Amino acid sequence: MPAALKGSAIKPKLEGPTVAVSVKSVNMVYDGVHAVRSASFDLETGKFLTILGPSGSGKTTLLRLIAGSQRPTSGEIFINGAAVSAVPPHKRSIGMVFQKLALFPHMTAAENVAFPLKMRRSDARAIPARVERYLDMVRLGGYGTRRVHELSGGQQQRVAIARALVFEPDLLLLDEPLAALDRKLREEMQLEFRRIQRELGVTTINVTHDQREALVVSDEIIVMDRGEIQQKARPSETYRSPSNAFVANFIGVTNFLDAPDGERRAIRAEKIRIAPTRHGLVGADTIVEGIVADAIFEGERVVYEVRVASLGDSLLRVFDHDPSAHSQLEPGSAVYLGWTAGDVLEFKP
Amino acid sequence: MRAAKSAYPLTWRIMDALEAFAAFVWPARFGRAIPWLMLAPALLLVGLLVLGLWQIGDVSLRTLDTSTFLMSEAYTLANYQRAFTESLFAVVAWRSLAGSLIVTVVTLTLAFPYAYVMVRTSSPTTRKLLLIALFLPFFIGQVVRAYGWLIILGNQGMVNEALGLVRIAPIRLLYNYWAVLFGLVQYMLPFAVLMLAPALTAIPEELEAAAGSLGADWARTFRHIVLPLARPGLVGAGLVVMTLSLTDFAMPAILGGGSQDFIANAIYDQFFRTSDQGLGSTLALLLVAAGSMLVGLVFTLFGAGTLAVGRARR
Repeated sequence: MPAALKGSAIKPKLEGPTVAVSVKSVNMVYDGVHAVRSASFDLETGKFLTILGPSGSGKTTLLRLIAGSQRPTSGEIFINGAAVSAVPPHKRSIGMVFQKLALFPHMTAAENVAFPLKMRRSDARAIPARVERYLDMVRLGGYGTRRVHELSGGQQQRVAIARALVFEPDLLLLDEPLAALDRKLREEMQLEFRRIQRELGVTTINVTHDQREALVVSDEIIVMDRGEIQQKARPSETYRSPSNAFVANFIGVTNFLDAPDGERRAIRAEKIRIAPTRHGLVGADTIVEGIVADAIFEGERVVYEVRVASLGDSLLRVFDHDPSAHSQLEPGSAVYLGWTAGDVLEFKP
Repeated sequence: MRAAKSAYPLTWRIMDALEAFAAFVWPARFGRAIPWLMLAPALLLVGLLVLGLWQIGDVSLRTLDTSTFLMSEAYTLANYQRAFTESLFAVVAWRSLAGSLIVTVVTLTLAFPYAYVMVRTSSPTTRKLLLIALFLPFFIGQVVRAYGWLIILGNQGMVNEALGLVRIAPIRLLYNYWAVLFGLVQYMLPFAVLMLAPALTAIPEELEAAAGSLGADWARTFRHIVLPLARPGLVGAGLVVMTLSLTDFAMPAILGGGSQDFIANAIYDQFFRTSDQGLGSTLALLLVAAGSMLVGLVFTLFGAGTLAVGRARR
């Protein structure tokens, strides 16, 4: 059946989980530097995966290897069971939204969306209706005749998404397309990505350095650092039980507590309670004394930096989510910090 | 002392001194005149050109008295009539026009891949080599280069000697139309590449990657993405190559050997061989008119924005 005639935008639910993407011991070496080191993971069909990591962690390289714009030094990538290392990008069934969108400036929005259909030699008579349907899906119905530069940043994002999805690819790749947007628009587009992905059920891999985005949009998160996969888990699991100190530090605000036995212990900023007196911390397993070094009012919460003498004079960050419970504590004032033993994260050295 | 120097480097002090000097000779209250001051040199040149053109226009309306070799006092359109009716001038005009068109098409065809590789190559060594190869001929004047071709392509030249080694009789390679066009293409190539390179640099590389991921192979990416986006550069380069070829003198004179005159050669003959300044001026004005019409035509077809003049078309 030609791609243009495939039924509705919503693909039928497959029976049981199938693996859409399988990365097997992939290495990528540039000039002796391991950009990606023995990366292996499987991704189920229809899932939204985010590869999260700081710049230079190898996340973009991993995405490019899947997209096919680069070939791995060793290892193999399978898409729907087929090895793809020898397949050039234009023969892979992958829709990609680029960091700078890469919309074609000499075409209208509709022409941009029609481009992949034309390149894949779809039935010319079916193209206009299909382009219109996908523009509707990204809520750009009626904007088809606009040129790219006549659209706002958010609208351009939507055109890029429609263009990447209109040919019903097996896989959607997002190469940090939201990085350049302002915060409000970015958060709106995150939800939009999520909605569209759920609507179409397309397997998606997203790359970002924004931990909030990873938590909001994903079914699963891979955290990468220095070319290696640190953890692959559901967002809540990644947040609640990070597999190592790097993950704990990269996602959320984490205080590391010095431990004499070499095992690293940490506590999240929001798990520490703060009070001017000991009585305010009933139920805490551990209570320490400290001096407020800085208090930052952020609206819905106050962030305190507290210097704790008993922990080697280290600064602990504390989120106080109920600032109205007591008046804001001024820098220099003596406070008590408390937490329960169950909230302490422990990592093997 | 050292710290103070680095905090306020010598170049800044020099700039300060220059600014103080500028403020002395051109006080701030003259500020509104600065744009005009900046335009002055160019306006002066254009003014001289217009004056010269006026003079040429005046002479073109006078005929040469062959008995006294003086220009007539009375104005007449006789020169224009000759220019439009004598078949020699029609042949020369047609030869120049057709030649410049062919040279433009061939030059752009050759320059485009060269510029593309130069812009897109990931190897700095390749880019440097291509740039050096491009600029070397620039240091050799057009006339010297034409003589170089005489040495290479002459009857006893390198090419014919090489052919002699494989027992092929010498071929007459020079003093024909194709020799002139060949010389012109070789002369124009660096201009075209230099004008195309910035236009190609302006096309983001990820557009080509995007086209690839959307299912376009190399050839279709080129046709649907690279070529349309390179249009401003192609139009600009084409315009420069065309006008330079149309008005060229040295290549037709040297590689054509007098048998392949372009308009500029005909003008030269009128001024310096037959001393008919009137007819020479007429031909010169007609050449200016033809060139201006070509440029005007290109601007109406593609818009002045193609030369990055004015605002981009919306």
